[in-house]
Amino acid sequence: MTNLVTFLLHTRQAVSLQEVVEQVPGYPAGLAARRQAFERDKRVLREEGVPLSEEKGRYRIRPEDYYLPELDLTPEERVALNVAVAAVAVSPEQGRTALRKLGGSELGGRLADGALPLGAQLVDLRALPSLPVLHAAARDRAVVDFGYRGQRRRVEPYGLLFRGGRWYLAGRDLGRDDRRNFRVDRIEGAVEVGEAGAFEPPASFEPADSLARQPWLVGGEEAMTAVVAVDGVLAGKLASELGEEAVRERRADGSTVFAFAITNRAGFRAWLLGLRHHAEVVAPAELRAEVVAWLESMSGPTAPPGSE
Amino acid sequence: MSAGKGDHGPRLTRLLAMVPWLLSEGGAPVSEIAARFGIEEADVIGDLELVGLCGVPPYGGGDLIDIIVDEDGWVSAFAGPFFTRPMRLTPAEGFAVLAAGRALLAVPGAEQEGALRRALAKLEAVVGESATLAVDLEPPPVLAAVREGIAGHERLEVDYYSAWRDEFTQRRIDPLVAYSLAGRWYVDAHCHRTGGLRRFRIDRIQSVRPTGERFEHRQVAPPGEAFTPGPDARTVTVALPSWAGWVAEAYPVRAVDERPDGRIQVVLDVAGPAWLERLLLRLGPEAEVVEPDDLEGLAADAASRLLARYRD
Repeated sequence: MTNLVTFLLHTRQAVSLQEVVEQVPGYPAGLAARRQAFERDKRVLREEGVPLSEEKGRYRIRPEDYYLPELDLTPEERVALNVAVAAVAVSPEQGRTALRKLGGSELGGRLADGALPLGAQLVDLRALPSLPVLHAAARDRAVVDFGYRGQRRRVEPYGLLFRGGRWYLAGRDLGRDDRRNFRVDRIEGAVEVGEAGAFEPPASFEPADSLARQPWLVGGEEAMTAVVAVDGVLAGKLASELGEEAVRERRADGSTVFAFAITNRAGFRAWLLGLRHHAEVVAPAELRAEVVAWLESMSGPTAPPGSE
Repeated sequence: MSAGKGDHGPRLTRLLAMVPWLLSEGGAPVSEIAARFGIEEADVIGDLELVGLCGVPPYGGGDLIDIIVDEDGWVSAFAGPFFTRPMRLTPAEGFAVLAAGRALLAVPGAEQEGALRRALAKLEAVVGESATLAVDLEPPPVLAAVREGIAGHERLEVDYYSAWRDEFTQRRIDPLVAYSLAGRWYVDAHCHRTGGLRRFRIDRIQSVRPTGERFEHRQVAPPGEAFTPGPDARTVTVALPSWAGWVAEAYPVRAVDERPDGRIQVVLDVAGPAWLERLLLRLGPEAEVVEPDDLEGLAADAASRLLARYRD
């Protein structure tokens, strides 16, 4: 197989199957057997990412497609990449292969950060098979096509974002003609990739800005300012999470009143109720009424029968 | 038999990475090659023997890659005009390294000298990446202080909010290792309050005070499941509306079933009533506890308690 790569890489012109099997040792006798063996080798090469070009039944590996351009990594930079791959669980096997191509590691597989236990990672990013495909498509500006919630979606992929333990694809849904975020773990089956250079992403696009951090900002409802009173027991923790700019009033009893913009009421309600009896929405009145109605629907129906 | 049996798949990729490095160095001991590429010494020899047979037709003299392993385990390599550089990264390989690098950059204090940032910039230039990949690890405010405690083996005093029990406690902990798992930061620490190894969510630590006391560092087992039910945990069966399937993804559940009425039924371990209340309040009237009996009224009681706050 290494001979085959060497031969195809060294040839100045594309070669035919006949030339390959005659010049590269190890192929069997008989046309059918040779063809079958070569087909299998082609498949292995492609699986391993060897850029085999095929045109009218002739083959070659173009050196410009094959060789990694000079990266000029210093030993410190190579070590830093090795530490990153060791410390972050994405896809260990692919990471290791990439590092070998980049010249291996002076560390010899040992980790610089002594704080890490053996075999444990500092960060666990869940690897999903469609991530590299989507990443390459975003880079090449190729439209992707995939199943999502039982429907086919055609999407201009702008970028990938890992947040809250999940991978999101940000892009433009062509069928709905709108900016959308998709959870990559919910993509059904394989992702199909179209031609490169099919679209221009928005000039100002940043994957990190494509998705709201807080549940009450996910979505595009009309913005309103929620005012929430929080008991002293949780006020300090929330002040550090929401930021000082959200603090409206610190009361003598230790409680704190926060005010901040929301654009997703359901997300806000879920967050608020997670604080249980330690928090209360004060204003606006319609938001307060919504929360009260939700609680009433919960306290009502489960009352024992005949208690009225 | 096809060309070069035995170097299929991963072995081929490994070979094609090793040879350019060897060529650029001119030679290296087997032990160094094994360490650098993370493989056994015996496999290094096996791989190299295969390469030694490679070349381009007509397979004479100077067209072969010449690899000689001497008796002291020193490998010398000479070659013709090919394999001078490694193969390009596949999309999966490029993604693996970039994502790992971006993630480590997102950890406060993990990258000090800028080598990783420079290495990533070089790599991005080569793979053509430009702002299509972001990793946000949402580091909690006290993460840096916790990591300093780990690095300096310093005992810390923390105010920790236990959401399971809905209470703040002050504890002294010996922090051993911190990590981000499924989007959340944890620290495994010896807890002096309970006298054992405990896992804490760092976003629930409100404040950290270094005590100035040192502790002896220990190796801890790699983190497994983020939640291990304690001795007081109870097993609860909850019926959920069909839109609340995320519950089964977000929490470690023992079983998931579909009910005849179209709702989803999950069985999970609950360490304290506060946590279960929180879940039920968020799910609303369509969710209910099926078992055990004494928790069936939990959601309605919690809702009434909250309503009282709105009515006074």
